[in-house]
Amino acid sequence: MKKQTLWMIIGSVCLAVLSLCVGPKWINPLQMDEVSRQILLSIRLPRVILSLLMGGALGASGAVLQGILRNPLADPYILGISSGAALLAALGLLLGSTAFGFFTIPVFAFVGAVLTGIAVGAMGYRRGGLWPERLLLAGVGVGFLFSSLLMLMMSLSSDEGMRRAILWIFGDLAMADWSLIPYGFVLILIGLILSLWRAKGLNALMLGDDIAHSLGFNPGRERWILFLAVGLMTAASVSMGGVVGFIGLLVPHIIRFVVGSDNRVLIPLSVVAGGALLCTADTIGRTAVAPMELPSGIITAVLGAPYFLYLLKQKDILGES
Amino acid sequence: MGMLDLSNVSFSYNGDPAIDNLCLSVESGEFIGLIGANGSGKSTILKLAAGTLRPGAGEITLWGKAIHHYRDRDRAKLVSYLPQMLDVHVPFRVNELVRMGLYPYDIPPDLTPDEAVATVGLADKGDSLIGELSGGERRRAFLAMTLLQGAGILLLDEPLANLDIRFQIELMRLLKDLRHQKHISIVMALHDINLAFQFDKVYVVKEGRIITEGRPLETITRDLLREAFDVDVMIYHHENGTVSFGFERMEDKNGLR
Repeated sequence: MKKQTLWMIIGSVCLAVLSLCVGPKWINPLQMDEVSRQILLSIRLPRVILSLLMGGALGASGAVLQGILRNPLADPYILGISSGAALLAALGLLLGSTAFGFFTIPVFAFVGAVLTGIAVGAMGYRRGGLWPERLLLAGVGVGFLFSSLLMLMMSLSSDEGMRRAILWIFGDLAMADWSLIPYGFVLILIGLILSLWRAKGLNALMLGDDIAHSLGFNPGRERWILFLAVGLMTAASVSMGGVVGFIGLLVPHIIRFVVGSDNRVLIPLSVVAGGALLCTADTIGRTAVAPMELPSGIITAVLGAPYFLYLLKQKDILGES
Repeated sequence: MGMLDLSNVSFSYNGDPAIDNLCLSVESGEFIGLIGANGSGKSTILKLAAGTLRPGAGEITLWGKAIHHYRDRDRAKLVSYLPQMLDVHVPFRVNELVRMGLYPYDIPPDLTPDEAVATVGLADKGDSLIGELSGGERRRAFLAMTLLQGAGILLLDEPLANLDIRFQIELMRLLKDLRHQKHISIVMALHDINLAFQFDKVYVVKEGRIITEGRPLETITRDLLREAFDVDVMIYHHENGTVSFGFERMEDKNGLR
C-alpha cells in the first residue's frame, strides 16, 4: 500500500472521530456524562455513519460511472436517478404522506430512484447491450424532465413544504437515525462488492468495447452489472439523505490525481475520500451556524472544488503536455 | 482444419451486406495479410474472427470448437485482437495498460509485463501516461498489452498506422520473430501494399469477398491491384528479391506534371 493511501485512510478515520466530538456541544469521548452519551450515541454516531456511507457510495458510484460512460463529467446524478428519487420524495414531503411512517421519504425516494434507473437502463439498451452514449442522453433527458416537474411542484406548494423539500434536495442528513442505516448499509455494500468484483472489467471497458472483449470480458454484461451497482448505491444514498452534489463528480478525479486510474484502487479510495468529505461537510454544516443547519451538498462543493481546481492546475492527468 | 477457421461466413450491418460467403483458415505460425481498399471488409473479417461480431450465416471455429461456445476468458487466452482505432484519452500509464494483458489469467503466462514493454521498445516509457505518447508509441503500448495476453493468434487491424517507416519495419520484424519463436499466428489487415510481400500468405478482399489468396509474390499482380484497388500500379521485381511499386506521375487539370 502506498504511503498516500495509508495517510488518506488514517486521515479519514481521524476526521470521523473528530466529527463525533464537534458540534453545538463539544463532547470528550473519554469524559462523558449521560446527556453527552445520549447525544453521541443517538444523534452524532448515526449521523457520522450515515455521512460516511452516503459519501462513500457517491464517491464509488462516480468512479464507476465515469468508467462505464467513458466520460469524465459523469456523476451518479447524470443518469437521472437522483431526479427520480427527489421527485418522488418531494412529492411525499409536499403531500405530507405518512404511508410508511418514519420511512415514508426514504421509501418514496428509493422507489423513485429504482424506477428511474430501470427506465434509463431500458432506454440505453439496444442490440443486446447498454450503450454509453444512449445511457447518458437518456439520463440527461429524464433528469431534465423530472427536475422540471419538481420545480413545478415546488412552485405550487406551501412555503414550509417547499423549504423542507429544498433542504432535502441539497442533502439533508438531519434525518439520520439508526433505523435507516442497516438498509442503506446493505444496499451500498452490495453495490460496492459488485463494483470491486467487476473492477478489472471496468478498466477494460475504459479501453473500448473491442479491446475489453479481446481481454475476455463481455462489455454488455459488464456494463449491466456495474450499472446495477451504481443504481443501488445512488438510490440508497439519495433515499437516506437527499442529493449531495460534488462528491460523485469530483472525488474520483481527486483520487485519480493521487493514485492513478486503476479502478481496483480508485473505487475503494473514492469510498474513503467521499465518506471523509461528506462527514467533514456535515460536521461544518451542523456546527457553523448552530442551531441552524447548512445543507451538506453546498459545503462539500465549497470545500472540495477549490482543492480540485488546484490539483487540475498542478497535475497532468491525461498527458496533455 | 486450422487453428482458426471461417467457413462460408456472411455478415451484414443493419441489413447492408458487409461480408459474403467468406472462407479463411489460419494455421499454426502463419503470418497472414488481409489487403484491400478502405471499406472492403478487412476490419469486419478481423472482428468476426475475434468473436466480437456474430456471423449472420456460416461458422467460425477456434481449435475446432465454435468461437461463441468458449467462455470469454478462455477465448481470450487463444485469440487476441487489436482494433485500428485506439483511444487517445485512456487515463492509464503504460505499465498499467500493459498489465491488463494478464486479465484472462489466474496464473500469468511466461512473458512478464517488463519484457512485453521492452519488446516493443518502450522500456523507458513505462511510467508515461498513454496520452503523453506519440501515435506510434501508443500503438506499441497497446501491442505490448496484446503480446502479454499470450494468445496463439493475434488479429491486428492496421497496426502500422501512425508508425514511421523505421517502426513499420521494426514491428514487422518483431512480429515475424514472434511467429518463429512462439509459433504465434498473426493475421494483419493492411491497406499499404508495400509491406504485403512480408506475409506468408495474403487474402485480397473486395466488397466483403476474398477475390484471391496465396503467396504474395505469385498473387499480387498488376491486374489484381487494378481489380482490388481500382488503380493502375506497376510492380517491379528487383534482382535482390525486393519488390517496388510505381504509378504514373499525375497531371493536374492543366496537363502539368
